[in-house]
Amino acid sequence: MAFVAAAAGWLLRLRAAGAEGHWRRFHGVGLARGFLHPSATVEDAAQRRQVAHFTFQPDPEPREYGQTQKMNLFQSITSALDNSLAKDPTAVIFGEDVAFGGVFRCTVGLRDKYGKDRVFNTPLCEQGIVGFGIGIAVTGATAIAEIQFADYIFPAFDQIVNEAAKYRYRSGDLFNCGSLTIRSPWGCVGHGALYHSQSPEAFFAHCPGIKVVIPRSPFQAKGLLLSCIEDKNPCIFFEPKILYRAAAEQVPIEPYNIPLSQAEVIQEGSDVTLVAWGTQVHVIREVASMAKEKLGVSCEVIDLRTIIPWDVDTVCKNADPFSLGLYPTGKMKEETNNLY
Amino acid sequence: MRKMLAAVSRVLSGASQKPRHGFAMLPSLVSISRLKQSSQLGLPKCWDYSYSLKTRQASRVLVASRNFANDATFEIKKCDLHRLEEGPPVTTVLTREDGLKYYRMMQTVRRMELKADQLYKQKIIRGFCHLCDGQEACCVGLEAGINPTDHLITAYRAHGFTFTRGLSVREILAELTGRKGGCAKGKGGSMHMYAKNFYGGNGIVGAQVPLGAGIALACKYNGKDEVCLTLYGDGAANQGQIFEAYNMAALWKLPCIFICENNRYGMGTSVERAAASTDYYKRGDFIPGLRVDGMDILCVREATKFAAAYCRSGKGPILMELQTYRYHGHSMSDPGVSYRTREEIQEVRSKSDPIMLLKDRMVNSNLASVEELKEIDVEVRKEIEDAAQFATADPEPPLEELGYHIYSSDPPFEVRGANQWIKFKSVS
Repeated sequence: MAFVAAAAGWLLRLRAAGAEGHWRRFHGVGLARGFLHPSATVEDAAQRRQVAHFTFQPDPEPREYGQTQKMNLFQSITSALDNSLAKDPTAVIFGEDVAFGGVFRCTVGLRDKYGKDRVFNTPLCEQGIVGFGIGIAVTGATAIAEIQFADYIFPAFDQIVNEAAKYRYRSGDLFNCGSLTIRSPWGCVGHGALYHSQSPEAFFAHCPGIKVVIPRSPFQAKGLLLSCIEDKNPCIFFEPKILYRAAAEQVPIEPYNIPLSQAEVIQEGSDVTLVAWGTQVHVIREVASMAKEKLGVSCEVIDLRTIIPWDVDTVCKNADPFSLGLYPTGKMKEETNNLY
Repeated sequence: MRKMLAAVSRVLSGASQKPRHGFAMLPSLVSISRLKQSSQLGLPKCWDYSYSLKTRQASRVLVASRNFANDATFEIKKCDLHRLEEGPPVTTVLTREDGLKYYRMMQTVRRMELKADQLYKQKIIRGFCHLCDGQEACCVGLEAGINPTDHLITAYRAHGFTFTRGLSVREILAELTGRKGGCAKGKGGSMHMYAKNFYGGNGIVGAQVPLGAGIALACKYNGKDEVCLTLYGDGAANQGQIFEAYNMAALWKLPCIFICENNRYGMGTSVERAAASTDYYKRGDFIPGLRVDGMDILCVREATKFAAAYCRSGKGPILMELQTYRYHGHSMSDPGVSYRTREEIQEVRSKSDPIMLLKDRMVNSNLASVEELKEIDVEVRKEIEDAAQFATADPEPPLEELGYHIYSSDPPFEVRGANQWIKFKSVS
């Protein structure tokens, strides 16, 4: 009886998260049943999975962008891609398994809507995918490449760092691949182990020429992705895979932009500044409330959003300059800002 | 021997028991007592079966007078060749002993994969699990064509190879369930199993092929006449590093056998939609290649022997494409029917199942009887059950071991965990 109740509860929650036709998600490397709802596993406590705990906290409904709809992360990505392909006739989406909708359902329906010339599969070749994307972008078309998991981005590392990032610089602004955006599922998911859990943003964080963006929620994701696609620099957009289904909130249907290189102060505080991005923002939010409750510490929570070039000003505004170590002031600060 | 006769006479004089599965209980009882004896010595590795087989054979002569042939000659499919004048032979001799050994090994791999499927659905195995049932002829056939001192490296569909390269089923299942008794001490899981001369078990598609070329270089350097079998799939065949490995192997004449296990689908993408040329055996271009029927174990064995002889003679690398099929989906999250029809899977199962093909051959040429093979099935089932029992009951590795073997360092190196207050000792 408890089994039936738990299963019913799980199914209802999935439906609430907008998971119609959820059986179809078992294409390719899909997600194991019920993996995002550790509390909904139907067997006894002895077998319950020990997933790192966090609760997604949806932001309040945005009023300034028109009508909104309840979307989870992958649906908000689909919406952003839909808006891009509608607005920009040169936009193309490609990657492994994107045609049928992608292993995380981010591109569902796009091939039917925009045709097989604009949404197509590539063979299994990450270096080829990114290199090919750079080529498309150099001619002026908008290239949206997908790397199936961030763990597989490394064969493409050379193309990103040596080709994409430096194209504008080495050609003296004659050519650029600014219309390239690389999207990739990112971060731990509980059962991903070595090769489906990695967070490689740090490897790219020291490479001038590219932008690395990581959203924390569906609303942020759509706005940031649209900004990345329209940005005149090659961008890497990492999508926290554990939030694909778990994070659902009201997202505007029409396109809108969230500026890059701008961190967001989610919670004001006076004692300690906590900086996080992606999934960890929700963990940090909980930590902040626990710190307030148990230690009486007032924490400022900042979502960095863009990893590189990062918003030094917002982060350092309240933070004690000496506790941060090296803090550019005066002329050095100006120079640092002008680097990007 | 005396014990055997005593057991037989006990059974003959004892109360009659209802026969199970429609055949006499007698031979099974004899075998089970033998199995109990050998299990006290530790579960036998796959090549020890020939010894117990011989003893059982002798005892069986007493209870059932049936003469089996010692060996039989079979015709096998001719391989398509690329840049080769001659290919492997089209006939081969299979001895009774070998036949029973291959049958047992294939059946063990099959049952082990099905047990892994069951355990995964019960959530005793977590994470990723890529099963190779349907491809048993590849792992057993390849092993039959090489020596234990040769080397093998493959991708993530590795459970079958882990077994044929010498690990026991209980070590494999315990690794799948993430327990201490697993071959990688419970820290590797499905995709990361290793054994002597078996280099895994690799998660990143195509990354193992340059590694295999490197192992082949070591073989050549050491001069011990060993070869390296480097396996990859039809999806991986489109990765750039494969071609880099081809070039290096051919340039330096490395004893590397590149083997493409073509099971027609790279995850969910059929070969026609992924590759400009689906003649994977020709993809090596300047490397000679052969296309082999991967569902026929004898074909695989002969082709492997041929390829190994080619490499050992110093002529350089060679490429083999094994045309095979997997019954399960890409992994346990994939039902496997959204990109192919159930009819197709059924057709392959009924017409080309490797175990069925071997069984039919052996029975029709009087190398073994149906009952004998059924008996092997029962024994294998029992072995898998025991292993699954062990795998479920064994304790997980202790938390201190989380940081072990990150670095090799004396004294143990301290590694930072998820935050600066969590420290793991990297003992190695």
